Amino acid sequence: MDDPRIDDFEDMFENAPCAYITLLPNGRIERVNKTLLAWIGHTAEHMAGKRFSDFLNMAGRIYFETHIAPLLRMQGFFNEFAIDMVTAAGEPLQMIVNALEGRDAAGRALFTRLALLKATDRRRYEHDLLEARDVAKTSLESERETSELREQFIAVLGHDLRNPLASISAGARILGREAKSDKEHQVIAMLETTVLRMAGLIDNVLDFARGRLGGGITLDRDTRRPLEPVLHQVIDELRLSSPGRRIEAEYAIDVPVDCDRNRIGQLVSNLAGNALSHGASNQPVRVRAVTENGLFRLSVANGGEPIPEAAMAKLFEPFFRGEVRASRQGLGLGLHIAAQIAKAHEGTLTVSSTREETCFTFLMPLR
Amino acid sequence: MAVVESAFASEFKTVLFDHVGAGGSDLKAYDQRKYSSLAGYADDVVEIGHELGLADAVFVGHSVSSMIGALAAQKAPGMFGKLVMVGPSPRYIDDGDYFGGFSEKQIEELLHFLESNHMGWSAQMAPAIMGNPDRPELGQELTNSFCRTDPEIAKAFARVTFKSDNRADLGKIEIPTLILQCSDDIIASKPVGEFVHRAIPNSEIVFLEATGHCPNLSAPDEVVAAMRTFV
Repeated sequence: MDDPRIDDFEDMFENAPCAYITLLPNGRIERVNKTLLAWIGHTAEHMAGKRFSDFLNMAGRIYFETHIAPLLRMQGFFNEFAIDMVTAAGEPLQMIVNALEGRDAAGRALFTRLALLKATDRRRYEHDLLEARDVAKTSLESERETSELREQFIAVLGHDLRNPLASISAGARILGREAKSDKEHQVIAMLETTVLRMAGLIDNVLDFARGRLGGGITLDRDTRRPLEPVLHQVIDELRLSSPGRRIEAEYAIDVPVDCDRNRIGQLVSNLAGNALSHGASNQPVRVRAVTENGLFRLSVANGGEPIPEAAMAKLFEPFFRGEVRASRQGLGLGLHIAAQIAKAHEGTLTVSSTREETCFTFLMPLR
Repeated sequence: MAVVESAFASEFKTVLFDHVGAGGSDLKAYDQRKYSSLAGYADDVVEIGHELGLADAVFVGHSVSSMIGALAAQKAPGMFGKLVMVGPSPRYIDDGDYFGGFSEKQIEELLHFLESNHMGWSAQMAPAIMGNPDRPELGQELTNSFCRTDPEIAKAFARVTFKSDNRADLGKIEIPTLILQCSDDIIASKPVGEFVHRAIPNSEIVFLEATGHCPNLSAPDEVVAAMRTFV
């Protein structure tokens, strides 16, 4: 046998490193190359005049007729489709195919040329990827269901905890009216402080669960009633619950603030509570609320050690807890909820922390 | 269908639409539950018909869309006066004496196989393609948009199509119906076309020389000629 020549086009067609098939416009096979015959195990005579579909598995046939053939007619080519041929021995022959339609001047189809590459490994790899994707999807879905259940549970639990707390609070008030000794007064004050702190924790848990369940933080905006008394009340409660600590408050609210006053109260309570827990106990917590330049600015600052660099990035994430003494340990939701409240008001909550002071600033546009 | 449509556009008011989940439709409107049966698609046809105030119109549908049209005609009597079914099949899976052309197993294999071909779908490209029906340059570059859709939707649509059984609905079609049957169509073969013809009381069947499943693309002239005599 002669050696193959580099410029032998017949050889280039017949023994190409890919298979070639030429189809007539009616889908019947006009010619195939030797490479295909070697792969598929049929003779050229057997294949000529038959439909291309006759050599596909059933899925391939349907796909070819419903997708590839019409697309070829519409755009004249189609690249990179996967199709399974069937060998003479009945084995699958997995291919990746490019197809090109030859047309006359009027756009009528003259023939279709297919170039086919054996792609058994590639297709197995893709198949494995698809399987892996399906497995990941299934486990993600079940994970999501579980976490939704968990959050629903938290929401129900939070709700149910409020009732007994209300009873304790009412009981403490009744006892307070009849308390005589200093000790009794002290214990009752402590009870009320604890109830207040507990109520704050439950509020945060409920808001968090609601946020995760898709409800988000809902606002009940009201410009008519002043904001200042709400802030006063929150600060007073904090003063009561932190005897021996100084909270300096400064207000300059000159224009109505279109906000949910209870939510802003919750924000201040969370920020100031955080400052009391983490700030130096011999330095005051400074709360400042002003309206200026079309903005409402509320800042809460404390002295003491700055927030470590590593903690800065996670500060507003749920369940993030810094180092504090156990009695002050919360759920790590306070700052997260505060940030959510800021967001709901189309505002921002930012933090700066230096050796001199740590300051959280809430900014929202006045509308 | 566009080539066929242009042949009638001068004499008829023509309406073309993409089923939800395909082509230029709004993918956000795809509702898994609604489109888990052909009836969901038929409801859309009826909705379009009501919106346009159609009465005594001619519905032309190819393949599964012809069954959708047949269902719509029953849902809204008077909306359609005539029905043209190109390559229809009321059921693709064999059932006892009934020959549909495919076994249950083969259809399952197809649904699985569909995943091997993403039809050029890419999640990054999707918003650009689907969101810009008025930017033809995108459409031209992607002429295969008629098959281009979210693979999940494509699979669901194939499932609805190939698993539906509308044989019982054929007898309820009262309007004159034209069935166009291709030669050599493995999707809707001759015995299936003949079954449809026998089942629809007021129907006629025309056997086309066109081969394959899409005569509207491979032989539009023959399809137009057959339709012209009918409408």
